[in-house]
Amino acid sequence: MGDAALTEAPAGGARSSSGDLGRLAFGFLAVSALSGLALVPFFSPAHALESLERLHGGMPWGFFLRALHAYSSFGLLVTAVAHLVQVLARRTERQLSAGSWWRSVLLLPLTLLALLSGFVLRGDAAAAEALPVGSRIAETVPLIGPELQRLLLGVIPGDLGAISLHHAGTLTLLLWLITAEHGRRLVPDARSLVLAGLVSASLAGTVPLPLGPPPGAFSGGAARVLLGPWYLLGLQGALVDLPVPSAWLAPLLLVLLLGFVRHADRARRLVVVLLAGWVAAYAAFTVRILLLARN
Amino acid sequence: MFRTFALVSAALAALLGFLVASGREADRTRGTGRGPDHAGGRTERCVSCHVKPDEDPGGAHSRAALGCASCHLGNPLAFGKARAHEGLEREPGALSTVAVTCGREGCHARESARVATSPMTRASGIVSVDRFAFGEIPSPDSTETVADILAAARPTPAELHLRKLCAGCHLGARRANRDDAIHGNGSGCAACHVARLEKGDPPRAHPPIDARVPNDRCFACHSRSGRISLTYEGLAEVEPHQIAGGPLPCPAPLKLADGRPACRMAPDVHQVAGMSCIDCHLHTELMGDGTARTHEEEQVEITCEACHGPVREGGEVAWSEVKDEISLEIQKRERRREEEDFLRKGSEGRAPDGAARLGRAEPPDWTLSKKSSSHAAPPDARVRLGRRGTPLLNLLRRSSSSLSSSSSSSDWILVRKLDGVVLQVKQTPRDANHARKGHERLSCSACHTAWAPRCDTCHTSFDAARTQWDFAAGKPTAGAWTERSEGFSWGPPLLGVRADGRIVPAAPGMILDIERTAAGGGKTSRRLLAPMEPHATGKKARTCESCHRSPAAPEFEAGTRTGFRGLDAAERRRVAAARVEPR
Repeated sequence: MGDAALTEAPAGGARSSSGDLGRLAFGFLAVSALSGLALVPFFSPAHALESLERLHGGMPWGFFLRALHAYSSFGLLVTAVAHLVQVLARRTERQLSAGSWWRSVLLLPLTLLALLSGFVLRGDAAAAEALPVGSRIAETVPLIGPELQRLLLGVIPGDLGAISLHHAGTLTLLLWLITAEHGRRLVPDARSLVLAGLVSASLAGTVPLPLGPPPGAFSGGAARVLLGPWYLLGLQGALVDLPVPSAWLAPLLLVLLLGFVRHADRARRLVVVLLAGWVAAYAAFTVRILLLARN
Repeated sequence: MFRTFALVSAALAALLGFLVASGREADRTRGTGRGPDHAGGRTERCVSCHVKPDEDPGGAHSRAALGCASCHLGNPLAFGKARAHEGLEREPGALSTVAVTCGREGCHARESARVATSPMTRASGIVSVDRFAFGEIPSPDSTETVADILAAARPTPAELHLRKLCAGCHLGARRANRDDAIHGNGSGCAACHVARLEKGDPPRAHPPIDARVPNDRCFACHSRSGRISLTYEGLAEVEPHQIAGGPLPCPAPLKLADGRPACRMAPDVHQVAGMSCIDCHLHTELMGDGTARTHEEEQVEITCEACHGPVREGGEVAWSEVKDEISLEIQKRERRREEEDFLRKGSEGRAPDGAARLGRAEPPDWTLSKKSSSHAAPPDARVRLGRRGTPLLNLLRRSSSSLSSSSSSSDWILVRKLDGVVLQVKQTPRDANHARKGHERLSCSACHTAWAPRCDTCHTSFDAARTQWDFAAGKPTAGAWTERSEGFSWGPPLLGVRADGRIVPAAPGMILDIERTAAGGGKTSRRLLAPMEPHATGKKARTCESCHRSPAAPEFEAGTRTGFRGLDAAERRRVAAARVEPR
């Protein structure tokens, strides 16, 4: 296991360049986990926004630490998706066993869940609005809906304890374990870690990550669209027209399509086309919600 | 090659990021003061908006020492006014939040607990006398507080009377819900310890906070009811119709801040000497001492004799025998401050008021050398005590060389707390005037009170059809109590007899008719005599004739405190029959 395993030659004999992005994603995951660990002492789920306000205003370089965590997490999502696109483009999915491939596919929804829970933990107006939406989506899952809702969101409405536990614990651990299995190494290589850290630091320094207004800030005013996290805008747009279950059916469809890519020999082209259609629809819904918010 | 390029590019970008972030961190630091160096070790964003120098109270409570949120609460790290002001306490010290402002642990927790027992907080005396006057309770000594009557679900006529007229004047009252005479004062602790807001003050200027309370803050409340602050300043309240060509000798009438007219009278001799209320009244009386008492005269510790003698047995002890922890702490703190002043400035640079700090057991020693420890109170230095053993910190023996158990007239000085000016404290001479047979029971003020205000008539009626401010609801509610007086007067005080037999000044405090038919009661007429220290002390005693040749005093009911009474018929006959010697 190690670099040799990661850079093992594909069937064609050429070295796989998709491994670089994968390793970089692991680097971003490590930076995100480490910066998140540094944030834990300063964050209280019971006083989420207040914690972040104190972090921003009262702690030297607190705003930078939070931005580092956020941008490294965004970096993880972006590089993970780019890595997936490369894998599909280069047809290297069969380098993994079927089980490992399916688990690796799960990294995508797990990453999104981790990011979404981080968004909710901001405790601001947008986060407060996102919480009941997420709760409602979980409720509509057949059979396990209410249990899933309680498992993910806790038993007390509005309480962020369970979410923060999943964000810092369950999801981080799952991401790390599956990534380690996928990459066949326990920690990222030094070069990827440094590169991810530098990119995250660069963004954290140059692009401010402001806090949102407090919950209820818009309750008295005219109705307006509060935008959710940028990576879920397509889902938010879809929910404007589609029924609530589409919010879990669409990601499920994506996961199934990605999973079947490895098993589809003759139908691979069809599956890839369906995947492209899914992405196009998601992009369209993203544009739709942005236009709606603008108006 | 590509990987190296990527790494170098990322490193350069990160460097740029750090540079930009450094600028933002510098902005943050500027917006919150100098970080941990400010706001008592915390950082706050309040000063990014509240930048004016006059928004700083200065002193021990300065922004640099405590920040803003320690007292004003709110959210000091929020971005934006609305968020920052969530939970803001605009009146720090208000008793409803005092546990998390002035009274928080580590600040003044002990003091705020004591204040809860102060008569100025509880106002039990006002409540119980009022209910007694209305005939609702058998004695005027109940322990019911103003908070109780404000919370009463079904107020009695007396409680309604208090809620409409009297309950706006206690330490628990907030600015928006209090008697109009005291609008300028703060709330709770701030009512005494924060300078009053006056018309024309900048709207956001922070008044200074101090322990040395000047008289204007006491005046705000105590110019009502017994009106001792008015009397002390030489002012007698009158009705408007009394100065408009009325029979009163009122040559230079003036208007008080709340519009009440007043006539100029002789001020108290202590006022003429520049003394403030806190020069006499002890911290245990004002702040409370942990024991709740109903009546003001039970709370007061200071006596004329404590300063002027003859001192009661046990009223003068060595400092080593003082048990009052707070006084010992104050003395220690003030002495340390004086040492610091001395080390900083040297004896040449010492201001007189700095040298005459509170709690010195000796008069100021102007030749104090840097190495000298002579300013430490010798354990055998004498100190005089109030009735419950609280030392008079600003009453000092003139010099350690004259220490003895007996006091001569020049032994004692008083250091004015506000400005440090030293005054001689004359001791009561043991002459014929003060040892006259038959006058042993007279209090000092029975003779030395030059005049006392009188509210001889007071008609109180209830009008159910009108509305009036209700201090319980904090808004006007149905029903109005109206007080109507034919006018005020003044003269030598009447005399009454305390439960211990001592003869003291008294005022016909409640000669009133109460019509409460509309409030659910009947009509009552009361003639009550109240013990009173008018605070109009004169150097000259009242004349013998003012007691022995005055018309017989009218009869009064048992008084406004159990055990207190007017002179009975036999006593009045004896006074009237006594031979008056020429003075």
